[in-house]
Amino acid sequence: MAQSGPTLHYSGHQYLRHRLVLSILSGKPVKIDKIRPEDKNPGLTDYEVSLLRLLERVTNGTIIEISLTGTAILLKPGIIAGGPVTHECPLSRSIGYFLEPIIMIAPFAKKPLQLTLRGVTTDDYDLSADLIRTVTLPHLELFGVSDGLELRIKKRGSPPGGGGEVQFLCPVVKQVKTLNFVDAGKIKRIRGIAHAVRVSPQFSNRMIEACRSIVNRYIPDIYLYSDVYKGEESGKSPGYALTLLAESTTGAIHCSEAVSQPGIAPEDVALTATRALLAEIRKGGCVDQKHQSMVLLMMVLGSEDVGRCRMGEFTPRTIQFLRDVRDFFGTSFKIVPADPSDPSSRELQLSCYGTGYINTNRSLA
Amino acid sequence: LQSRQNRKRDWTKLIYSSQLTPQQILHDDSQSTNDDKANEEDEEFFTVKSRNFLTEDDEVLDMTKEVTREEDLKEWEDEDLLDSLRKCFITGGGGE
Repeated sequence: MAQSGPTLHYSGHQYLRHRLVLSILSGKPVKIDKIRPEDKNPGLTDYEVSLLRLLERVTNGTIIEISLTGTAILLKPGIIAGGPVTHECPLSRSIGYFLEPIIMIAPFAKKPLQLTLRGVTTDDYDLSADLIRTVTLPHLELFGVSDGLELRIKKRGSPPGGGGEVQFLCPVVKQVKTLNFVDAGKIKRIRGIAHAVRVSPQFSNRMIEACRSIVNRYIPDIYLYSDVYKGEESGKSPGYALTLLAESTTGAIHCSEAVSQPGIAPEDVALTATRALLAEIRKGGCVDQKHQSMVLLMMVLGSEDVGRCRMGEFTPRTIQFLRDVRDFFGTSFKIVPADPSDPSSRELQLSCYGTGYINTNRSLA
Repeated sequence: LQSRQNRKRDWTKLIYSSQLTPQQILHDDSQSTNDDKANEEDEEFFTVKSRNFLTEDDEVLDMTKEVTREEDLKEWEDEDLLDSLRKCFITGGGGE
């Protein structure tokens, strides 16, 4: 959006990504200072600079000023352009780091985004390509962003060598739908993807077996897929991971993932992932904990109607996001316990009045 | 003390009108009432505390996945806990 409002001011490198996203969506410039001023490597890191470059290319007319020391940035957002973009991600972070903010802005672009990202596809810090494909995109579909929404994993890339490649296709929408999701339902199936690259393909079967030893007791509908990538497609470094998701009768999805580490057996990786999934299921709510902020953002942008969503316990990121979204859009949520009668329940029901955000970038058809 | 007992925390107020950091809101369950008071009555005490929290979290990466701690997952070795989760599945019977 071309309009400019008052500049918002933040300090610190934390929560950089969602602040940049909010700035671009709201059209309000944002200034962030005191980025690691005391660190022995002060200022922006390579991946943060790379993210800024990527945002610059996905948008049109965005002005980014970085101070000499790199400890302060000023972003004046332009319009979200979309179209074909290719970006090399530094190997210090996985492509999830870059894709997560892009997913939040891509539906509001002028043209459908076709983004190719190269780098690490799975790591311990951010959503892996598998999680984004199987969990994040369904969460986006709740808001009516669905036709042509796709993530293709062309090549896998484990840290530290990377060498993976994904292609993200996102349609544009005029407006997102209002969400009304308060019934979490019951888990009806469990799905999983075990992948192993540049190690014995037997590793994914061992992970699947270990996972089944725990979840078989709950439900018969379990399908764990062993995803094989060979040769060029398997990237430059060895690695394996297990991605799990549990889907409920109402379409709520909870997920977990564990990634290989040196000296840890595939069975233990699988147990970590499985237990993390159970912990996530116990937290409850209708959306996965790692996707709270994205869902909240889309609720804020929804049509001028009251959106409701039931969530498990907040993460620190979610709390900061709630505060920041109020700074940018003036929307605050009403947060009440989901089951007032049950004192042991920690689930919350959030509701807000959508801002009726309209995609003005979209070329009129 | 009262708000500690009934655990019904006013999230709207904690998030929108307190100065607590997100970490404080989440982890300081027992102290939150004290902090609230400190916030109202004693500005100085509060600033010192928040600075401590900041330095602690300074090295935290901007990451989406929560750090999974092995200790936290240890509890899932317990069969009773595993069974208690059955109610979340369609196969777990109708009642609750």
